Amino acid sequence: MIRLERLTKEFDGLTAVDGLTFEVEEGEIFGLLGPNGAGKTTTVRMLCCLIKPTAGTAFVGGLDVRKDAIEIREMCGLLPEAPGLYGELSAYRNLEFYAKLYGVPRSKREENIKKLLKMLDLWDRKDDPVGTFSKGMQQKIAIARSMVHEPRVLFLDEPTAAISPEAAKVVRDFILELKHERCTIFLCTHNLDEAERLCDRVAILNSRLIAVGSPSELEKSLGLGKTEVHLERVSEEIVRAVEKLDGVRDVEVSGNKLLVGVRDPDEVNPLIVETVVGHGGRVRYVTRTPHALEETYLKLVREGESG
Amino acid sequence: MRADRIWEIARKDMASVQRYRYVRLGLILMPLIFAVFIPLVLIYPVVAGEEAPKDNELPPFARPGMPSKEAMVAGLIDMATLMFMVIPAAIPSTIASYTLVGEKVNRQLEPLLATPTTDLELLMGKCMGAFIPTMLTTVASFVVFILVVDFLTLPLFGHMILPNLLSAVVLLVYAPLISLLSISWCVFISSKVTDIRAAVQLGALGVLPLMAFYVLFVGGILSLESLTLVAFALVLISASAGLFALGKVTFQREKILTRWT
Ligand SMILES: Nc1ncnc2c1ncn2[C@@H]1O[C@H](COP(=O)(O)OP(=O)(O)OP(=O)(O)O)[C@@H](O)[C@H]1O
Ligand SMILES: [Mg+2]
Repeated sequence: MIRLERLTKEFDGLTAVDGLTFEVEEGEIFGLLGPNGAGKTTTVRMLCCLIKPTAGTAFVGGLDVRKDAIEIREMCGLLPEAPGLYGELSAYRNLEFYAKLYGVPRSKREENIKKLLKMLDLWDRKDDPVGTFSKGMQQKIAIARSMVHEPRVLFLDEPTAAISPEAAKVVRDFILELKHERCTIFLCTHNLDEAERLCDRVAILNSRLIAVGSPSELEKSLGLGKTEVHLERVSEEIVRAVEKLDGVRDVEVSGNKLLVGVRDPDEVNPLIVETVVGHGGRVRYVTRTPHALEETYLKLVREGESG
Repeated sequence: MRADRIWEIARKDMASVQRYRYVRLGLILMPLIFAVFIPLVLIYPVVAGEEAPKDNELPPFARPGMPSKEAMVAGLIDMATLMFMVIPAAIPSTIASYTLVGEKVNRQLEPLLATPTTDLELLMGKCMGAFIPTMLTTVASFVVFILVVDFLTLPLFGHMILPNLLSAVVLLVYAPLISLLSISWCVFISSKVTDIRAAVQLGALGVLPLMAFYVLFVGGILSLESLTLVAFALVLISASAGLFALGKVTFQREKILTRWT
């Protein structure tokens, strides 16, 4: 759906985005991660044909960002970093204005707006000026605005950065719901938990592309993944047996918990459980260590900076 | 260019902008000053005065070929008619400052730029959103001005002195051109400033060309012959075309996002 080919942007000597090449599949939720100033916003702006690449190119829905700007903008929705709503106009009017600019036919306009506002739980506030809304509500309206024309590709630049955890959850659930509608979603975020929960694949960017893959693939490739086995009681015997398994890097004990470094959890986790049970262990539950993506990310970004 | 998109942008701008007190104040105050206050203060005292000014005391802008009092009043009416051009010059700077600089600092332009409209459609929409209220105000005030002036001077002249050729030229030719010139100037300014007040003040520089014309007329250096009127129209056409071209170069997506700091 989206294909970047050595996509590059320079601003008077500063290379903000340097030769990005990767692809995003149709219907995928794709996360773009990177530190401040990594070029995430710049990349999204190029993909939405707001600014032109200085070298390389990208294709959105098969169209070239250098040539087919209007057609690409027609099929894309953008949630920019700042919501930029018209505070003096009502929620409904804000959305209606954009629906018209996107050429949504009259009959569909009301239907789409109603559907979105209802999904986001703001239908009863539709006639109130947006300026009176809380930040989280404004962000929801801005998301609705980016979708009034039922785009095939949606670009979300830090959709949950400035809002409360509750509002962020509504937004995340909403994004997951869109996935069922086969909308391709390109998400910039700093929130690694969010990326891990939402994204099928992520790219890590620091002006250059550092890595791309599914969160678990990335963890695997760095061998950072850990499996936590919570037991009723840990014994020496169990620890030694698990350490001997193929594909286990190391084992740490912390209270009643085994922290097992594994390369490929899908393959090794069942073996670990079998072994533990076989040695008389009683398993309470098994999980992956949380924040695995965070560690992966930090490691990759640091490596990227030093290399 | 798609007229419906342009119109939609203009309509939204007009709806947004009328909520600002400062803009509303301008839209009300300007007509009051130029259509009511000036005729009453500038023209009426001469009409009502007992003594006519002596021929050799007449100012340079007095209308030649009339008795001195009539010449003086007719000259003042011409002066007030020319002053009218301040309205189409000044109103755009208040409106466009909100719809361009205001939207820039509130970061409302980026989502707008993400829509499938062309740069030119957006620019035309923004210009139209300032042009329509400006011209409506100008025309409405002009009607009031004509009525007030005719009412005040009917006893003196015995006929309605307005509308005349000059007023028609000012209203139908100069006012739209000046408005366009002023709007284009504001588009250019918007790329340079990040403060609405500064934009309003710099935008008001759009009154300069007509101030020049006005001073030349009051000083008697220009008389209002057809040649002068045509020449001034040509000056306005080239100035507004030039500034519009400048505005067009300024108003490009990439520049708005990366250079309009
Ligand atoms: N208009 C511009 N002129 C010059 N440099 C720019 C411009 N816009 C962005 N940059 C530079 O390009 C780089 C990438 O910026 P960008 O906004 O894309 O980063 P980002 O990843 O979105 O960061 P953040 O997480 O803070 O939003 C930065 O170094 C920034 O200073
Ligand atoms: Mg950014």
